[in-house]
Amino acid sequence: MDGFPILSLIVFLPLIGALLIAFLPASWARPVALGASLLTWIASLLLAVGFSAGRGGLFQFTEELSWIPAFGIEYKLGVDGLSLLMVVLTTTLSWISILASFKPIQTRIKEYMISFLILEVGMIGVFLALDTFLFYIFWEIVLVPMYLIIGIWGGANRIYATIKFVLYTLVGSLLMLVAILATAFAFQAANGGNWTGAFDYEVLRAFATSGGGFDPTLQLLAFGAFFLAFAIKVPMFPFHTWLPDAHVEAPTAGSVILAGVLLKLGGYGFIRYGLSFYPDAAQTFAPVIIVLSLIAIIYGAIVALVQPDLKKLVAYSSVSHMGFVTLGIFIFQPQGMDGAILQMVNHGLITGALFLLVGVIYERTHDRTIAKMGGLAGRTPVYIAIMGFFVFASAGLPGLSGFVGEFLVLLGTFAFNPFAAATATFVMILGAAYMLWMFQRMATGEVSGFLTGLGNHLTDITPVEILTLAPLGALVVTFGLFPGILLDIIDGSVARALADVAAGTTIAVDPLVTAVGIGVIAAVVVVRIATLPMIRGSASAETNA
Amino acid sequence: MDILIPLIALLPIAGFLFTAAVGRRLGKRAHIVPVAAVAIAWVVAMVVVFTAVTGGFGDEGRTVKLWDWIPAGAFHIEAAFFVDNLTAALLIVVMTVGLLVHIYSIGYMSHDPGYWRFFAYLNLFMFSMLLLVLGDSWLTVFVAWELVGLSSYLLIGFWYRKHSAALASKKAFIVNRVGDVGFALGIMAIWVNTGTLNIRDSIGALTGPTSMGTTGTLAAALPIPIWVIALLIFAGAMGKSAQFPLHVWLPDAMEGPTPVSALIHAATMVNAGVYLVARANPIFASAPEAMVVVAGIGIFTALLAASIALTQTDIKRVLAYSTLSQLGYMFAALGVGAWTAAIFHLMAQGFTKGLLFLASGSVIHAVHDEQDMRKMGGLAKKIPHTYRTMLIGSIGMAGIPLLAGFFSKDEILGETFKAGFYWVWAIGVLVAVMTAFYMFRLIGMTFWGESRVDATVEPKIHESPAVMTLPLWLLAVPAVLLGLLLSWPGPPLGPLFGQTGPGLLAGWLEPVYAQGLEILGRREADFAIFGIDGVLILISVAVAVIGMLAAWRLFGVEVGGLRRRGDPEEVRALTARVPFLYRASLNKWWFDEINHVLFILIGGRVAAFLWWFDANVVDGIVNGIGSVTRRSGGGLARV
Repeated sequence: MDGFPILSLIVFLPLIGALLIAFLPASWARPVALGASLLTWIASLLLAVGFSAGRGGLFQFTEELSWIPAFGIEYKLGVDGLSLLMVVLTTTLSWISILASFKPIQTRIKEYMISFLILEVGMIGVFLALDTFLFYIFWEIVLVPMYLIIGIWGGANRIYATIKFVLYTLVGSLLMLVAILATAFAFQAANGGNWTGAFDYEVLRAFATSGGGFDPTLQLLAFGAFFLAFAIKVPMFPFHTWLPDAHVEAPTAGSVILAGVLLKLGGYGFIRYGLSFYPDAAQTFAPVIIVLSLIAIIYGAIVALVQPDLKKLVAYSSVSHMGFVTLGIFIFQPQGMDGAILQMVNHGLITGALFLLVGVIYERTHDRTIAKMGGLAGRTPVYIAIMGFFVFASAGLPGLSGFVGEFLVLLGTFAFNPFAAATATFVMILGAAYMLWMFQRMATGEVSGFLTGLGNHLTDITPVEILTLAPLGALVVTFGLFPGILLDIIDGSVARALADVAAGTTIAVDPLVTAVGIGVIAAVVVVRIATLPMIRGSASAETNA
Repeated sequence: MDILIPLIALLPIAGFLFTAAVGRRLGKRAHIVPVAAVAIAWVVAMVVVFTAVTGGFGDEGRTVKLWDWIPAGAFHIEAAFFVDNLTAALLIVVMTVGLLVHIYSIGYMSHDPGYWRFFAYLNLFMFSMLLLVLGDSWLTVFVAWELVGLSSYLLIGFWYRKHSAALASKKAFIVNRVGDVGFALGIMAIWVNTGTLNIRDSIGALTGPTSMGTTGTLAAALPIPIWVIALLIFAGAMGKSAQFPLHVWLPDAMEGPTPVSALIHAATMVNAGVYLVARANPIFASAPEAMVVVAGIGIFTALLAASIALTQTDIKRVLAYSTLSQLGYMFAALGVGAWTAAIFHLMAQGFTKGLLFLASGSVIHAVHDEQDMRKMGGLAKKIPHTYRTMLIGSIGMAGIPLLAGFFSKDEILGETFKAGFYWVWAIGVLVAVMTAFYMFRLIGMTFWGESRVDATVEPKIHESPAVMTLPLWLLAVPAVLLGLLLSWPGPPLGPLFGQTGPGLLAGWLEPVYAQGLEILGRREADFAIFGIDGVLILISVAVAVIGMLAAWRLFGVEVGGLRRRGDPEEVRALTARVPFLYRASLNKWWFDEINHVLFILIGGRVAAFLWWFDANVVDGIVNGIGSVTRRSGGGLARV
């Protein structure tokens, strides 16, 4: 396949589909969208087959075209083990989401499918771009269709959720653009005013990890900017509050992609850019990020315990699960990094499936309140069996894929600091508690009055819905029993990223700066609490309902 | 032989997959494949067991590798099976009780609409439990550990319409997870200290001459002290084996169908913790502090549970607390280094408790799903097979000589005494009185005296079909003979298994415990029937008889002319004399209430507060910054 631009094909196949839909009658939108996404999926699988795992994390199938030569900006794509996994995850979830949208989406179907396919272009592009400017372009492309999907096809409170989502993400990405430009300027200055390679990922990476790398101050600021962009995407505590709102309002397929792929952009960005461009800053920030990750893991799980809404529960569980990703990355340890990447894939599969399952019940009941459910095991046994499978997968049942990633992260963390590992391991209890409590209230007991009132509308899961879940279930089992498939692929990328960051040393930050920083944060929290209209008991009141 | 070892576990999982896929359509024939799978697995397992105990695998045992499970750099885990004599001992119990419970369930569950589902879950459980005893690495054992938890969850909550069953299944899983956190951390600590998770290699590295060395790649990590590792492993064992304070899930687990209680919550799953500690014996031997903790928690659980069993009126709950109590004995034995005695008691209890639970199921079946012993009585003549087998089990439990329960319990008490743990021995003797008492109280209330059965049910009382009573009699055989067999010192049994020595089981397990005993620096003392051992036996037998007589006096018995009726007045007078102890026993020492306050009331408040914090403070700060920007933007626009 050498020489054939397979990466460009994968990136732009969905775009061709989107263009076709634009010029074809609306009745063609569904099959064309599904066809385009399936073709993209097949192409990405071919890429996986052609990929050679044993090349030490070097980029393969690279394509290079000069774009804005004056600044050395290029159209450059390439794939390594990490991006390969992310691309296949994206293409898999994309066709599943499009198929899952067939029935729920009945208005403006053309626009919806076009948005979805452009979203896919952006996501794949982010994972394959090897030019920082191109990366930024794709990053922003992702934002627009997601904004439309939530804002047009979302729930009742969609405008609030959309604005929140856009504001958060935009703040992050604009800062990221500044960081990208600053990095390019710094490189150009160091390179004697020559712009060649100032946006080239591999050139910048080589520069950053050999010799002195970038200036410490630039590193701290640029890493800080990248950190904010990625931390919001992951989302890390305390930047996570847009996520439950966005999930609740998004249509099912939007939630699947949001949890399955968009959150992974953050983790991917940390490994690809954060560690390799600014190793000193990454070392400096690591303790903070580790603490925030531990908070996210426990805090997300505790808050998930009291959620009355199915989607919010899964959203907060995502905060908890994604904490493992950032924890695994920033302990700079092979098992941790392996686990973090596995966790990204597994969270995409399992949480994607959970959102699909929420969608299935929402289709029939137009409600997601857990308290109104009950006794579904008798009414919809197949649905509950499938849900039980993914509930246990999410709770980290060994033998299924979720366990391997989390355990590797915990193992790496234990080697780093046993107390940190003990804190994170505690989530084994909380995770089982919130998932099983939800499952028990959904599945067991007598059929609730609310569900009985629905009569024949409450049907068991349909074959098409099973078709959207079956591939995810199969992958969850496969990767649980044979995680070696994934570990072989990412081995080189992990080794390279760790070697990059190992080149860094902690930057001595003025204690005064640290103190002032902590002081400002504390002051903001205090002011916020002090200015609350009053201490409302609304949260606990809702819990009791 | 190498193909046979994985086959033991793979047959039940094949049965599960088959039944899960097509069982629904098989109706009343759904049991054929699952029962056949376990029956064939039983034959295979017995071949493997015989090979093992006759020295076919040598002292090191036999490993069969299937594939590389997690190849993550320095962290390399194989999916592999391992058999040695300890595994063999467990296989005998798990496979035999498992097979008989499968057969029994054909009768017991025959009217249940979830017939196929029940057998599917049972097969899943068999696979998990077999994987647990066959696992070659700590992580494989952990996988099985969790899968056992899952199948237990599914089976406790089998009658999902019943709210109490749904709650009990969730409680069992979550409480088990508490212990699992410890076990998982223990596994991590083992890897950080030794760089391997293979059970034998890691134990060798932890306790061998080059102990406490870290792997080169993990220089950053401090080696974890071995007593921490021992306690973390014990935490896992406490969860599965329901030791105080994680004992609260087991009595509730009785919400599941009775065959499940017999198989999982008496004979197999709850023994997993005992197996784990016995397997890790050199680690515990290297950490004397941890062993005292094990012995202390064990004997305390034995006492606590026995005290509760005295007053419970639900027939299955009495047996459940009795199970807890006997598990406590096993941990007391493990804690004093009497590992052979612990496994001996595990095997004897496995069969005896399996028998008692299945018999209680037969009772419940006979009186139409009544479990309250206050509504039973006088059943001896009406369900004679059930009565006789249950009586055999109870005599064994009480510790009357020549039955299996006597040999194993006496060995535990004797070993604790001779190891110098007199306080453990003393509490153990006290528990022995209580055991004899509550078992015969159960027999008395259920089978003796006048019938208190509901008038509408009374005429319909009937003995269970042969498919249910046959397993009872088959379990009664080992419940009587196993102790004699396993402690038999010489010919003719010894030579049959290629050995002579202190006792059959002790001989089998010698290689497993060799390293641990060497670290402890202890030799098993010779058995002296006319010395200290004889005295100790006399004491145990005496207290057993005292307990039985006390129960007989209060709850009636009919032996020939010695007719005596149970006297409720006398019972009431007795309980009134110790009101606090009586209420504590009746209310199970209020553990459920304490946990409710701690985790539901206080924990729930904390969670609700954090959610409020999230929605108002965390979210508010960011929104607040947004609104400040908006306002200043508006201000600028006016300018």
